[in-house]
Formats: sequence, C-alpha cells, structure tokens
Amino acid sequence: MTEPVIVLNHLSKSFGAVNAVQDLSFTIAPGTIFGFLGANGAGKTTTMRMLCGLVHPTSGKATIASYDVWKDRHLARTKFGYVAQRFSLYRDLTVLENFRFFGGACRVPGPELEERIERLLGLTDLEEQRNTSAGSLSGGTRQLLALGCALVHNPPLLFLDEPTSGLDPVHRQQIWNLLYDLSNQGKTIFVTTHYMDEAERCTEVGFIESGGLLAKASPRSLKASFRARLLEIDVEPLMPALVRLRAIPELLGVSLRSGSLRLYAPDPEKLIATWHESWPFPDLRLLGERWVQPDMEDVFTAYSQGYDAVLKRSTS
Amino acid sequence: MKWPSLGAIASVAYKEFLHIYRDRRVLVLLVILPPLLTLIFGHAFEASEMTSVPALLIDRDGTPRAQSFIDIVLKNKTFQWRKQSPGATDESDLLGHGVWAALVIPPGWSESLTNGDPKPLPLYLDGSDTNTATQLEGSIQQSVGDFQMKERDSMIETLPEEVLELGRKLPVHIRKQFVSLMTAWTVDGRILYNPKTRFIDYVVPGIIGLILQLLTVTLMACTIARERESGTLYQLMVTSLERGEIVIGKILPYLAVSICLIVIVSLVGSWHFQVRFYQPLALALICLLFLLCSLGLGLIISAFSRNQTEAIQFSVFFLLPVFVLSGAFAPLEQLPQAIRYVSELFPLTHFCRAFRLVNMYHASARFYIVDLVVLLAGALITFIGAAFLLKRIEQ
Repeated sequence: MTEPVIVLNHLSKSFGAVNAVQDLSFTIAPGTIFGFLGANGAGKTTTMRMLCGLVHPTSGKATIASYDVWKDRHLARTKFGYVAQRFSLYRDLTVLENFRFFGGACRVPGPELEERIERLLGLTDLEEQRNTSAGSLSGGTRQLLALGCALVHNPPLLFLDEPTSGLDPVHRQQIWNLLYDLSNQGKTIFVTTHYMDEAERCTEVGFIESGGLLAKASPRSLKASFRARLLEIDVEPLMPALVRLRAIPELLGVSLRSGSLRLYAPDPEKLIATWHESWPFPDLRLLGERWVQPDMEDVFTAYSQGYDAVLKRSTS
Repeated sequence: MKWPSLGAIASVAYKEFLHIYRDRRVLVLLVILPPLLTLIFGHAFEASEMTSVPALLIDRDGTPRAQSFIDIVLKNKTFQWRKQSPGATDESDLLGHGVWAALVIPPGWSESLTNGDPKPLPLYLDGSDTNTATQLEGSIQQSVGDFQMKERDSMIETLPEEVLELGRKLPVHIRKQFVSLMTAWTVDGRILYNPKTRFIDYVVPGIIGLILQLLTVTLMACTIARERESGTLYQLMVTSLERGEIVIGKILPYLAVSICLIVIVSLVGSWHFQVRFYQPLALALICLLFLLCSLGLGLIISAFSRNQTEAIQFSVFFLLPVFVLSGAFAPLEQLPQAIRYVSELFPLTHFCRAFRLVNMYHASARFYIVDLVVLLAGALITFIGAAFLLKRIEQ
C-alpha cells in the first residue's frame, strides 16, 4: 500500500460557537477520485479550505504529501491545485494572461511555463480563446480555464469545490472527462459535489453531515451497505399517495423516482406482504411493485436523513 | 520567511499593471485628472492679493479737498468703488449694497482737517471672512496716508516767507531733526525665500501632494479589496506566493504610475506656472518616501476593507482631515497648537514642509531630515501593518 496523499487527523474547525467541522479523520490514497458529499453547510467547503491552508484548524491536523496543511502550507501548496466554488480568476485578464500569472505565481520557470500552457490550452480546449478575456467566457469554459490554471504547476493533487454546479450536461461531461484523464495520469482528485451521478463516477465517496464523517467507501460498497432491499411501487393517484405514505410509521421515508415511489422501510418484505393481504388505502390503487438496487441518491438520502434502520453500519 | 523572488514579484506586478491598463475609466482619470487639477488649483490660488473688491463711497463733505482725497482713493486697485449720493443713510447695509466695504467722508471733514482736529473716516467692513477685513482696512489706511503726505507737501510749498525766515534761525541740528520728521519713515523690505511672493510657488507641493495622496490611497485601497470581493484572493493565496511578494508586486505598478503623475504635475507647474524646481534629487527623494507612505496607507485600508465600497469610504474618512489639516494650502502656524499635533501625524504635512524647505528655502538637509525620517518610518509602519493585517485574512 502506498503512502496516502491526504491524511486528516481529528481535524476540527469552529467559528465561534458553530462547529463547522468536527473531529474528521480519514486518509486518501494516491490516484483516488474522492467525492466529498454533504448537504449545504455540512462542512465540505470548510474542510477543503483547511486542507488548502486558507483556514486554520481549531484543533487536530492534516497533511498533504506529509506537509502540515497549516504550518507548512507554503510547501503543501506546491503539491495541489485548487478550483474554488466561485469563479475566481481575473476577469479582466485574457485566458493566456491568467495562465501566465498563475504559472509565475507558482514559480514555474519561463520556458517550461510556455510549453506547459500550450499543453493545458489543448487539454482544456481553449486554444482558440487564448486572447479572450476570462470574464467574457461562458460558464463551462470558465471552469475549464480555472481547472487549467490549477494545473499550471503540475501538482499531483487537485481540489475542486463543486466544479460543475450550474453547468450544462455537455460541459459537466467535458469536465469529468478531463478529471478521468488526470486520474489516469496518476493525479489524486478531491471533489465536492451535489450531483449523485457524479458521486457514482468517483472511486471513493465520503459523506459529511453536520461537520462529521458518516461514511467513506467506494460507491459500490456504499450501495452494498443497504441492509434492507428497496421496494418501488406504482400507485395512483401519485401525489396523495406520496403524502399519505410518508406519514405511516413503517416507512422511514419515501422518494419519487420517474413516476414510481421508492420506499425506505426497515422490513419491506413484511410490509408488502401485509399490503397484499389488505391494502390500507381505499382511495389509492396499487398498480404494481418491484425490487430495485439502491443508487447513490438512496445512499445519500439514507445517510443524510439518518435512516439507520435500512443501513448496515459500515466502518470507514 | 523566504527572501522574495523577483520572478514572482514580476508576475504580480504585471498582473496588477494589466488591471490598471484594462480599467479604462481609471486610466483616463490618471491621465487627465492630475494636469487638470494642477491647472485649476494653480490658478485658483495664483492671486494672493485681492483686487476689485466691490466697495461703496459716500462723500457727505462735498469740498474740493474731499474730491482730491477721492481721486487718490479711486486709484487704489484693491477696490472697485461705487459712489453713493450723500443723502443715503444705509451705508452699513453692506449685504444690501452687494459690497464688502463702505467708506464715508463725513460732513465738515475738510474743515476739521484745517481746524487741527481731524475727524476719523467711518469705514464699514465685512468681517465674515476673517482674513479680508484687516487687509482691506490696511489698504484704505494706505490711501489716507498718501493723501496726508500730499496735503503736507502742498502746505510746505505755500508757507509764507516769514515762516521760512524763522526756520532758518533754528540751530542746524534741530532743523535736520525737523526735516527728518517731515519725511515719511520707511522700512526697506527684502522678501526672502519667495522673492516674487508668488503663491503658486508656495502651493505647488500642496497640489502635488494632494493629487498623489488622493489617487494613490484610493487606488491602492481598492486592490486587495477587489480581490476579496471577486474571490480571487483565495486563489492568490493558494499559489506559492509569499505575502511580501504580493505586497511588493502590488505596490510596484502604482509606484510607477505615481512617479509618472509627479512628472506630469511638475511639467505643468514649470511650463505653465514657471515654477522652478531646486535640487531635483532631494525633491525626488521626498516624493518617493511620501509615495511609499501613501501606498502603505492605501494597502492598510485595503487589508481591512471587505469590499471596494468600504475601501473607498475608509479612504475618504482618512483623506478629509488630511486635506484640511496638513498645511497643503495654508501655513500650519494658523492652526491651534493642539490641532498641529494631529497634523504632524499626516504624511502630507511632512511632505509639504520638506518640499518647501528644499524648493523655497533652499535649506540644507539638516532642516528637513526629521520630516524624511518621519516619512520613512510611516512607510515602514504601514507596510508592516499591512502585511500583518493580510496575515489575519488567512485565519
């Protein structure tokens, strides 16, 4: 087993009385695409900023390539690139000028920098827009530029804070293809996202809730952590059914998927057997039922809503 | 902390230069404002002596002697006289007449001069502006003096022969004393340091300092605030740039721009106003230290402003007292002692003093070394303060 790139050791951060991140400990191996999932305000961005040395930890520590992310942040910063949540390059500078500035700021030597910029322009498909000001690029190309600038010093690790939020599916695909290429080159990628389909693309996923880590595993084993099977039913009329079913004590939750209702029940077999005997809602019609495999959204819902009864408590 | 790398500083400086260059409005402001302000301020403060002050003249005496006095008074260029009929009684209503002064020749004035009991001439003055009243009174006093001298000369010319005969009998030394007393005693004034008494020569450091302070503090104050506003500050901080490199890199382009501004203002001063610059090297050093001080102040404001709006507000709060209390346009000595201690805190005060000591007094360095030290200390304190404040951002 190779040395982990990122090590978090009881990392915590509080802002006044608010504990944004609490006692976070985990490691990330090189080459991983780590998806960091959590609701808004769960502590994703704070954790990422601590790892980038932008916010100092209240307690605990973390290292990147064995450099302390706070004490040796200047050394740690040579090892990673960072793409912020908000577009934060210089809008009045052109694509090329942004590349050159960040290259110079990261102390990439001149001749090597020009060569690398050419390569990154190709990689991000920005060759034709090299003299366009960053402010006039579209959302997707801006993000590609931000990604390119984060790679200008050729770091082995990349932090991306919701890199695809607000982008159209084509640009999202383009960004992810780029991330696969980078991963293929051996780079480690730490990405936060709200999109469950993106979580599926990661090699490893971590769930954070109220500043604490709930689970960390590959998408496959996370899905396997569903103890109960998932029942999906077709009912008519749909919306009243959703409201009524949410209220019954045998169900932890109900979610609507493509016209069917997905039921999170600790004992779905018993529930459906009871329903076959006597359907308790005379005004609703049960049209059919089937067993489905949980996807990442189910996993995320179960973890973040605390549906412990449907989960095998996995050890991270 | 590592020694700053030139390449990294150059990257920041070039980027910052591009920001200035791309922001056309600021660029236009930088190119047009300084020469324009120099012209406006230069002409505004050019004439230190008052001329053509509207004034009222009422002759209630109406004698040829009063007329001869009026002839002298009319030659006084300080005033633009308007005669009022002797019957008018509202001479003290200066505002109503739209004048700053009213001079009255009372009835029987001419006779009182002959009788050996000269009546004083009533003079009404607008005292709302504290400086002008005394200046106007002095000017009238001078006209009265001229008239008195003329009267005496004409009296001597028409003295009867017996009186002159009598005078010749006096001892020589008494006669000499008498002649001396009859002559106006004068001073031989030699104006030093500003022989042509041109106010522009006095005010030129004020103009340079004001423009520089205005532009450098506000522009510099916006730099870091803008990065914070647009979110680029985090991006900047995750690069391997050291704080010192960011600070120096941000200062350099503004320093270059400010030096251009000084050159422009100086050229306008020397071409248009014929201001001479003495010891350019010493003046350049004073300007440089003052600039560093101003840039440092701007940087401090920038470091604790959360956005550009705040940065501009803080700049204005700082600059307002500076303009009034720094002695840029009027001598500091007019201010009360307690306020002058406050004035000493402003870099502009020391800049103006040192600049005048060199350019007007042609003083040697020992006279203004204290001001240089204060400016240098100011620059150091502001830069260290700014670096310290920037460190806080990272927490």
